[in-house]
Amino acid sequence: MHETDAANANLPLVSVIIPVGSRHEPDQGPLNLAYRQALHQRGVTPEFVYVIDGNRDEVARSLENLSDGHNDVRIVRLAKSFGEATALTVGFEHARGEWIMTLPAHRQVEPGEVARLIDALAEADLAIGRRLPGAGAAANRVQSSLFHWLAKRITGEQFNDLACEARAFRRAVMEEIPIYGGQHRFLPILARRRGFHVTEVELSQPKGVPAGGFQFGRPASHLIDLLTVFFLVRFTKKPLRFFGLIGLAVFALGGVLLAWLVGERLLFDVQLADRPALLLTSLLVVLGIQTFALGLIGELIIFLHARHLKEYTVEEVVN
Amino acid sequence: MDAELPARPAAVAPLLSVVVPLYNEEESIGPLYWAIVSALEAARVRFEIVCIDDGSSDQTFARAKAIAQHDPRLRIVKFRRNYGQTPAMVAGIEHARGRVLVTMDGDLQNDPRDIPAFLDKLEEGYDLVVGWRHQRQDKFLTRKLPSRIANRLIGAVTGVPIKDNGCSLKAYRAEVIKRVPLYSEMHRFIPAMASITGARVAEIRVRHHPRRFGVSKYGLSRTYKVLIDLLTIKTLISSASRPLSWFGLLALPAAAAGMGALGFTALSLLGGGSISLPIAGSGILFSALALVLLGCGAIAELVYLTGDLQVPRLARLTAVVTSEHAAPEAAALQGGSSYA
Repeated sequence: MHETDAANANLPLVSVIIPVGSRHEPDQGPLNLAYRQALHQRGVTPEFVYVIDGNRDEVARSLENLSDGHNDVRIVRLAKSFGEATALTVGFEHARGEWIMTLPAHRQVEPGEVARLIDALAEADLAIGRRLPGAGAAANRVQSSLFHWLAKRITGEQFNDLACEARAFRRAVMEEIPIYGGQHRFLPILARRRGFHVTEVELSQPKGVPAGGFQFGRPASHLIDLLTVFFLVRFTKKPLRFFGLIGLAVFALGGVLLAWLVGERLLFDVQLADRPALLLTSLLVVLGIQTFALGLIGELIIFLHARHLKEYTVEEVVN
Repeated sequence: MDAELPARPAAVAPLLSVVVPLYNEEESIGPLYWAIVSALEAARVRFEIVCIDDGSSDQTFARAKAIAQHDPRLRIVKFRRNYGQTPAMVAGIEHARGRVLVTMDGDLQNDPRDIPAFLDKLEEGYDLVVGWRHQRQDKFLTRKLPSRIANRLIGAVTGVPIKDNGCSLKAYRAEVIKRVPLYSEMHRFIPAMASITGARVAEIRVRHHPRRFGVSKYGLSRTYKVLIDLLTIKTLISSASRPLSWFGLLALPAAAAGMGALGFTALSLLGGGSISLPIAGSGILFSALALVLLGCGAIAELVYLTGDLQVPRLARLTAVVTSEHAAPEAAALQGGSSYA
């Protein structure tokens, strides 16, 4: 096998986690070889952890062939499809390396360049690829830039290609940040908020590979993911500050309207019973109180569990 | 001082931990260390200093570490990034090993020579002693006036009439402060928070020096946040220990309004009149709100039962005691003044 020039023997073991989801090459052999060569050229010793997310027999067979030929390939099969975040988490549980890489199971980026992510770890805790000249069809690109703009507005962190599946990071990053649902996309944002140093690495897209077409329904799921991150980043800090203010504003609006209606009833004898506006006022008052109550419950949860919710990360303790 | 306080079986454990959050205080760290050490060695207290480097971008950590290599009594907790004052306090409290904790600012505006007076006060049986900068060395219009208004407001709303909530120099019994829920930006309300857990609070006068190095990291802009936090605290204090009855009280007027409107509708139906849709609809809405609020109360009760703040009773502090008897060395600082 690749008994390479052990020039950079002091690089740590790199575990490459490859989640095999709905987008994958049926025959993983050539892609694995391309990744392997790129890493070996940098003097990196990789181990591969393939997580087959769901029932995918064809690719499973190709991976079994691969692992027969190499003793550094491990395969984890999930009983059903759990999504990429879970696949990554499971893969991480089986990873032994000090440094972790996640790579796509299809040619999303030029395989020969992935070692540049490893280079970036010299100065960063997490490196994520940024595809140039930009991902996919024009419709996708518009959608993508809108998504990243929104993400920046919400979280305050600027990233350009959160959907890129090529990442490299230190073990500590994933040990500290639990991801689930669609949150793998926000790993760079969450990592930066935990104080890790995150950087983007430009990777070129392979030529001649058809870009994924515009997929209907994806924007909706992305928006829901954004909402999740919004709550993780903003709401979990101060629920009452957020919901309480909205609730009070709605309540105040309803209160003013109600005062006006009652005033007209008393001064000008306009019958309340005939006014649909009364219904609107009641709705506003009720909605305001309910929103406030929601915020208060959130705040109570944090308040009463504050000792389990660590807000900070310690890098070093001296003495 | 050593003789008065009972010796611990584990001789290495410090009696006192001084917790100091630091954010870009490279010039202050050296003088601060010496000020604390000379003050506490003179008072013959077994102490440790816990510094929290809150993600400083300057040489704060390097300088502190250099000192710590010569003095094991200095413990440093380095944050990976800047998280703010409350998380820094929480981390310091968590890493402190003393039976008594003193928190202070890292900007040399507090004077460590006041610490022995705090210890005396704790000896009298208080759980929490708060400093009062009665001669504050800050700008009047942007710092002192807003804070005076804020203190009045905080006192009135929380029922813990502290004259100076903004003073970082405070002393606590470790087991009390480690029980107080602290998060986000709640360090300003530590006395109010502590009072929820039944702590006894005292207040003494302290020295206050003008800033020598660096710039103040806090200004007027945070006033509005303080107001919202105050509302939060007030709601938490009144609801946290018996959520179901708190939400029940909130549901009562909603239920009354709903029942009233529905009753009116029923009466006009019986009287042969026509139903008013707006009134009937409002009645249904408010009745539904009452039900939802009761449901919220039940959920909040569950949260309380699974939470870590099992308040035996809600402490009702009617007054804060300002010291009348001063320790000899701090006599000049502690004039008696009753607070009504």
